[in-house]
Amino acid sequence: MRNVRLFYIKTGRMKFLSQLDMNRLMTRVIRKSGLPVWYTEGFNQHIYINYAVPLSLGFEGLYEIMDIRITDDEITPENIAKQLNSAAPDGIEFLRAAKPVKPTVEIAFAEYELIFPDEDNGIYKDLREFLSQESVVCLKKDKKGRMKEFDIIPKIKKTEFLSNKVLLVLSAGNEGNLNPSLLLSAFFENTGREPVFCEVKRLMLFDRELKPFV
Amino acid sequence: MDQKEFEKLLLTVQKPGRYSGGEINSVIKDKEKVDVRFAFCFPDTYEIGMSHLGMKILYSLFNEREDIWCERVFAPWVDFESVMREKSIPLFALESRDSIKDFDFIGFTLQYELCYTNLLNMLDLAGLPLRSADRQSLSPIVVAGGPCCCNPEPVADFVDLFFIGEGEEVDLEVIDLYKEFKKKGGSKRDFLREAAKIEGVYVPSLYDFSYGEDGTITSVTPRDGAPAKIRKRIMRDMDKSYYPEKFVVPFIEIVHDRAVQEIFRGCIRGCRFCQAGFIYRPVREKSADTVNRQAKALCESTGYDEISLSSLSTSDYTQLEPLLNKMLEWTEPEHISLSLPSLRVDNFSKELLDKINHIRKSGLTFAPEAGTQRLRDVINKNVTEGEIFRTCKTAFEGGYTAVKLYFMLGLPTETDEDLKGIAELGQKIVDLYYSLENRPKGKSVSVSISVSTFVPKPFTPFQFEPQIEKEETERRQKVLKYSNTCKKVNLSWHDSSTSFLEGAFARGDRRLCGVLESAFRKGCKFDGWNECFDLDKWSEAFKENGIDPLFFSARKREYDEINAWDHIDCGVTKEFLIREHEKALAAVTTPNCREKCSACGAACYGEGVCFEKR
Ligand code: SF4
Repeated sequence: MRNVRLFYIKTGRMKFLSQLDMNRLMTRVIRKSGLPVWYTEGFNQHIYINYAVPLSLGFEGLYEIMDIRITDDEITPENIAKQLNSAAPDGIEFLRAAKPVKPTVEIAFAEYELIFPDEDNGIYKDLREFLSQESVVCLKKDKKGRMKEFDIIPKIKKTEFLSNKVLLVLSAGNEGNLNPSLLLSAFFENTGREPVFCEVKRLMLFDRELKPFV
Repeated sequence: MDQKEFEKLLLTVQKPGRYSGGEINSVIKDKEKVDVRFAFCFPDTYEIGMSHLGMKILYSLFNEREDIWCERVFAPWVDFESVMREKSIPLFALESRDSIKDFDFIGFTLQYELCYTNLLNMLDLAGLPLRSADRQSLSPIVVAGGPCCCNPEPVADFVDLFFIGEGEEVDLEVIDLYKEFKKKGGSKRDFLREAAKIEGVYVPSLYDFSYGEDGTITSVTPRDGAPAKIRKRIMRDMDKSYYPEKFVVPFIEIVHDRAVQEIFRGCIRGCRFCQAGFIYRPVREKSADTVNRQAKALCESTGYDEISLSSLSTSDYTQLEPLLNKMLEWTEPEHISLSLPSLRVDNFSKELLDKINHIRKSGLTFAPEAGTQRLRDVINKNVTEGEIFRTCKTAFEGGYTAVKLYFMLGLPTETDEDLKGIAELGQKIVDLYYSLENRPKGKSVSVSISVSTFVPKPFTPFQFEPQIEKEETERRQKVLKYSNTCKKVNLSWHDSSTSFLEGAFARGDRRLCGVLESAFRKGCKFDGWNECFDLDKWSEAFKENGIDPLFFSARKREYDEINAWDHIDCGVTKEFLIREHEKALAAVTTPNCREKCSACGAACYGEGVCFEKR
């Protein structure tokens, strides 16, 4: 038995899937693909899948990661990806399978692309101004469900404003994940703007050194 | 509509996965290369419709044909409907996202009466006139099938053509006829006339109804060569009948989120309240080999890790044990759990129980339906208290601690004694539990009793019976409530106001079409959903049309009255129903089809249980 890390994209109609839906889908895709995977033991046996950083409903992802265990030592990484792709719906594509290099807890950052398709360039200027503040405190539920104050500015590692989009590198993973939705709602709220539609795409997951996570 | 724009709107509603399409095994075709586009509409939510087996069978069957593209359509939930209306998005099919207005067929499956307003709402959302007479061009043809079509009259003005019985063959015959008409540029009128000649097709516009002074039907007259009796179609040989190898696998959780394998059609029992027990006669089984093969293919193509066997009464399947043995051979190593719904009490053996336990502990449920043996004899539910106790004992000793019992309230001849009997039965099961030495250690028992309101249905021996009215229903609910004194027995019942509506539509005639349209115009939809059902609007709709719903539901019908469904032939004869009704009133039971044939009429199909050796 070996651990296998799968890199995949989630785009198009797949953005309407919540993490729960995703889990159901992936279980079925794996079963349909016929890959020899490992099941957890005990009363409620299920396929072992570990998702690196869940993606919110509504977002697209180009560098998604999940780990599974394969019980057969022969099958090549290329064939694993190929077999999964033959069972996957449109919008899910397995880019490659590989031996995990680092444990997923070492994921530290994620890069997102934000586009406001219905707005003029003004909104990017406003967002830039908003993000250049010393601190922006908003409320966020902690793991126990209590509302806690949370400063989003220190969680923003990098920003890059282009004429019709913005790229953000935000803290991700176990230590203080910043979800772009939280950032956006703080932006609309603090600037008194009507909330508008924003396309969000997760482009990359990074480790602590800002290297692509593998 | 622009796809990006559309997807943006989806993100503003609950459960966008209901409308996104793109599921595993959904069928995409090139619309330029097909001759017939069929919009298969389920007039309820995605989660309910996607759980329905009949839709899955026909979806795959149609799509096997290169010249047909069948797509799915569900009733949008109220949040998305208002977005659609605001943005002028017409009702679309999930696969292509094309408006169904331009399809060749719009087909509805009618599973329960309370979905009728959704049918109207969906036609309206599609941008089509509601009434058949107002849709003059050949396409789209609006068709309907499903169990409610055994009395199609309450929706007769809206639907062009009904399929009576099982659709696998007759649907394709009608589609082929349509293709001819489309090619030669024929008219809708001529098409419908021709279609009416196909066995199992009912074209309501070809029948004239006249009524007497007392409001009852005096005659039903066919025109233009339409048959006087419309005979239901059935699949004679289940082993040769089409069964899909693939199901569309939804992304969001649906009601029955698993593979479903049909094992037989019909039911040998003949419980007198149960419409399905009569309209699907005769019983026709699939062989264990067929079931096993089909089930395996289905699990492989879907990736489902659960499969359930489907029929009206699983334990009446004659090859259940061999089948389970065959299936366990592959389900266990593949981590697939096997569920067996609707197991009956009276032949629920210890061995069988162990086999299911083997896979997964499911709940223990019984449907005695009535609280006393007398009333169970009236309804021909051949279940005795002794049998219930025996099964409960086995189950309790096997580790079960929860029992669920289903009953009906308002059955013909029911007295307060029968209602008290329900609570007493619950109490006796609790007592039984505590009397057992080897009951589960340190655990308490829970008996939940769920009581629904009985609604008399066409093609049952109770089609002649009045439905009890609202006040009386509420009184009986109270009797029931006060007769239960045991804390371990948990009693629940359904609100009775929808059953009055269900009752009127179940046995109504085409004079209800106006009421339905008024109710729809007032905004009635999703009537089966508590949060949507609006009794006041319905009462107004009845009043405005000068129709008393109780005329259809709460009136005793004489045997010689012409009922709105008497020109539909489901195999069982009216004479048989009358015989059964008389036996019911005398509390005499009827043996099941395997014990003794009661000459119900369904043997005319020349197949199934009627010809088994007894
Ligand atoms: S004809 Fe006899 S065996 Fe056949 S369905 Fe009717 S009662 Fe049952």
